[in-house]
Amino acid sequence: MIVMAKRSNSGKVQYGEPVGVVTAQSLGERSTQMVLRTFHQAGVSSEVISAGLPRLIEIVDARKRAKHALMTIRFDKGIAKDYERVKEIKQKLEEVSINTLINGFDENLKNGTMLLHFDKDAMSAHSITLRKVMEILSSRFPDIEVSNEGNEVTIRYKKRKDVRGVRTAFVHVRDEIVSGVEGIQKAVINSEGETFYIAVSGSNLKGVMDIEGVRPENIYTNDIFEVLSVFGIEAARNAIANEIAYVFDIEKASMNFKHIALLADTMTYSGTIKSVGRHGVAGDKESVFARAAYEETIKHFVNAGFFSETDRLRGVAENIIIGRQITVGTGKVKLMIKNEELERFKPEDGEKE
Amino acid sequence: MGKESALCTIFVDGKNIGRVSDGAAFATEIRANRRKGLLSGEINVAFIKELNEVHINADKGRVRKPYIVVENGKSKLDDQLMEKVRSKEIDFNYLVRRGIIEYLDAEEEENIYAAMRENEINSKTTHLEVDPAIMFGVTVNGSVFPEFNSVGKHPLAWQLMKQAQALPVMNFSNRFGARSFLLHYPQAPLIDSVTYRAANLSKHANGQNLIVAVTTYHGYNMSDAVVVNRASIERGIGRSSFFKTYADEERRYPGGQQDRFTIPSPTVEGYEGEQAYTKLGEDGIVEEEMEVNEGDIVIGKVSPPRFLEEQTAFGAGIDKSRDNSVKLKAGESGVVDNVMVTETSGATKIVKVVVRSEMFPEHGDKMGSRHAQKGVIGSIIPQEEMPFTSSGIVPDLLLNPMGLPNRMTAGHILEMLGAKATCVNGIIGDGTPFARKGNDLIKEYGDVLERSGYDRYGNEMLYDGRTGRRLKSEIFIGPVYYFRLSQMTKLKLQVRSRGPVQILTRQPTEGKPRSGGIRFEEMQRDALVGHGASILLKDRMLDQSDKDSVWICRECGDTGYMDRVKNVPVCPMCGGTSKLESVEISYAFKLLLDELKSMHILARINLKSD
Ligand SMILES: [Zn+2]
Repeated sequence: MIVMAKRSNSGKVQYGEPVGVVTAQSLGERSTQMVLRTFHQAGVSSEVISAGLPRLIEIVDARKRAKHALMTIRFDKGIAKDYERVKEIKQKLEEVSINTLINGFDENLKNGTMLLHFDKDAMSAHSITLRKVMEILSSRFPDIEVSNEGNEVTIRYKKRKDVRGVRTAFVHVRDEIVSGVEGIQKAVINSEGETFYIAVSGSNLKGVMDIEGVRPENIYTNDIFEVLSVFGIEAARNAIANEIAYVFDIEKASMNFKHIALLADTMTYSGTIKSVGRHGVAGDKESVFARAAYEETIKHFVNAGFFSETDRLRGVAENIIIGRQITVGTGKVKLMIKNEELERFKPEDGEKE
Repeated sequence: MGKESALCTIFVDGKNIGRVSDGAAFATEIRANRRKGLLSGEINVAFIKELNEVHINADKGRVRKPYIVVENGKSKLDDQLMEKVRSKEIDFNYLVRRGIIEYLDAEEEENIYAAMRENEINSKTTHLEVDPAIMFGVTVNGSVFPEFNSVGKHPLAWQLMKQAQALPVMNFSNRFGARSFLLHYPQAPLIDSVTYRAANLSKHANGQNLIVAVTTYHGYNMSDAVVVNRASIERGIGRSSFFKTYADEERRYPGGQQDRFTIPSPTVEGYEGEQAYTKLGEDGIVEEEMEVNEGDIVIGKVSPPRFLEEQTAFGAGIDKSRDNSVKLKAGESGVVDNVMVTETSGATKIVKVVVRSEMFPEHGDKMGSRHAQKGVIGSIIPQEEMPFTSSGIVPDLLLNPMGLPNRMTAGHILEMLGAKATCVNGIIGDGTPFARKGNDLIKEYGDVLERSGYDRYGNEMLYDGRTGRRLKSEIFIGPVYYFRLSQMTKLKLQVRSRGPVQILTRQPTEGKPRSGGIRFEEMQRDALVGHGASILLKDRMLDQSDKDSVWICRECGDTGYMDRVKNVPVCPMCGGTSKLESVEISYAFKLLLDELKSMHILARINLKSD
């Protein structure tokens, strides 16, 4: 117990320790070593995941659309070892558009007709029947007529329209998604010992959660904003921390998790994800001087003038600007003197001061 | 589409001029005519199969490279012609005119199948390289044995060679370049290359052959530093002159006024006292061979007043001209080498003064070889304390062996071996790229050394100069061509404890010529913040920088001033005199407050009593 207490106390930071600066230095030093590299993740064939510095910047900038969204879907024991079940789920995931099901097409824009040559093998691979495709098409596109001759499907545009209009309509038809979850481009089954899991490029938490056999706690996505919208800010904070830790991990750059956690907390404590920079964390600083010293100097001073802002000089940057001791480290403590106590130390008569 | 695409499109200098049916045959025909001399040798033609296009180029700016033409599996430069070349009956240009050697540009090179050496020619070969070394330019061929060095080291090596102090020109005493160096005792290298000889570079040699022992010396040559023999420096190794030119002109100003080169009179504004101008001649220019030190005036110049009103306000009698003389900056010294007085095309008088200073190698000066092995002088050791060989040879320079393996500069080692063999047999070694095989060279040099009683791998027993004891291991020792690089301590050393400040911000100046300090920037600031060293940070940012005290009004928070007549601080906003406090702030912050006021923003400072 004593040992534990000792360990616990030695892990505490000192009063006035500038943890933010130390975090910035630790992260900054590590990231200068990182090279602009993209890795090929094993399994998700030919899908590049962004890693290293670009990914780190993506996270701290709080970009709404991550470049390479990825999901990992694991299963409970019952399903995980059953390849057929996993495969079944996988087929429900992948986005299948008409384009992937056809060998080619011939369009006659003048007459407003298009002939789609459906590929039997592609259809069976995605376990989709021609009838179902035709049903989907005719229900979603009220303006067209669908008829078939074997695997050749003819699409006729009912209304007279100019060539360009017909063309765009046909492009929409070919891009139409007939099965799968929206936003999921590719799914690959990987194995981990005896169990199988699905690695997915693209992310759609809600869509995947709806699929039978998938449980929410078994899904992982690297899309932080999706985590925020589905699970809330606490989960998003953990997602940020885990994703940053992962970036450093694959670069083999060791890093105390407390630093990463502090960064994640700073980005999320307000309830929304704030980026590190002008529009986020730095722009929300209390001090006018600190904000003006960072970026957009004039804008901040003018606004401070308009709204008669007060700078309480509590941070580091503003105190350096005016030339005071900073309020961290040795500058955090102040010497207080009780005047009444001082009376006791008054020099006696005849004694020199 | 059919027919049309089967025709080959012809482009001349990127312009489409027509089509032919067989592009390959068309290109071949042009080439044949060029070799016959019917077309200019400057024309290049390329048939691009993938696009079915023929590109004919005759414009300027193409980089071209000579090749020997090969026909029917035989080089057109046969033994008969080679004999004529050797006897100087014919020259290179003759071969070019006869179509035996032709220059190809990058596009035409795509069409050829070139052999590197004559014995590699087969039935498909169309061209033969003149020499493998031709793949490099003049600078690159200046380095020896480059093919034995790591490829990434080559650019660094050439960068280094450019910085070497040398004997660049013979008329250096008549030149007035801004900065130049002159190596006093340049030597031709013991190992050179074909291009080095062809360009006659030994006439402008930029280095010296130093005896280098690859060994450590009590840590003074760790991490790339070198230890140099003091006696070698006294004998003239790396000694050089540094020339710096100070120039000025008699500028003309609107209103018919102009500068004057003269010794300023005591009435001139900024007059520095009689003593300051003693080195100047009657014309206000320093005398030749005069010793000058920092702060000395070399060109005396008087400029008219900055504002015309000044003169009219006080009448014409008062001379308000300024002293605008040229001074030696902080840390500069030397002897006046040359003075030139002349006129520009605009009839403006200009003066140039060259100051020469002798540069002996000292601690921190940079030395380097032709293999990107560079380092600073870590220590200068007396000859008696240097290691020596059994025959009494004391090395000039000690190179740390740790610098060689991971840099993979095997050429450096080979140069040492070859140069040692050169010293023994007196034949200048050949380090032309790709001329010889490494094993052959090692064998050849080894044989030469062995015949003269040396170890065939260049190792020798060395004795410690301090104790006289034999060193435990054999040491690799041999001559290397070393450069003295232009980075020198004397030109860079700078310290400041007190000094000038900038007018605007009252912060210390920056840079050596202004005897400034070293910047304390954001990263340095963060380091102190990270340590929580608040008082040290304040010392750097305020106390040792632009500390200032201003009067702040307790009432309105605006800055006040000290009324020197009544000796009371005054607030111009509320007119009071009693409620002001003297506050220590940085002058830059005061400047910020003033600039904010100019933007119509009043930053009020609320004082809090502790
Ligand atoms: Zn006032």
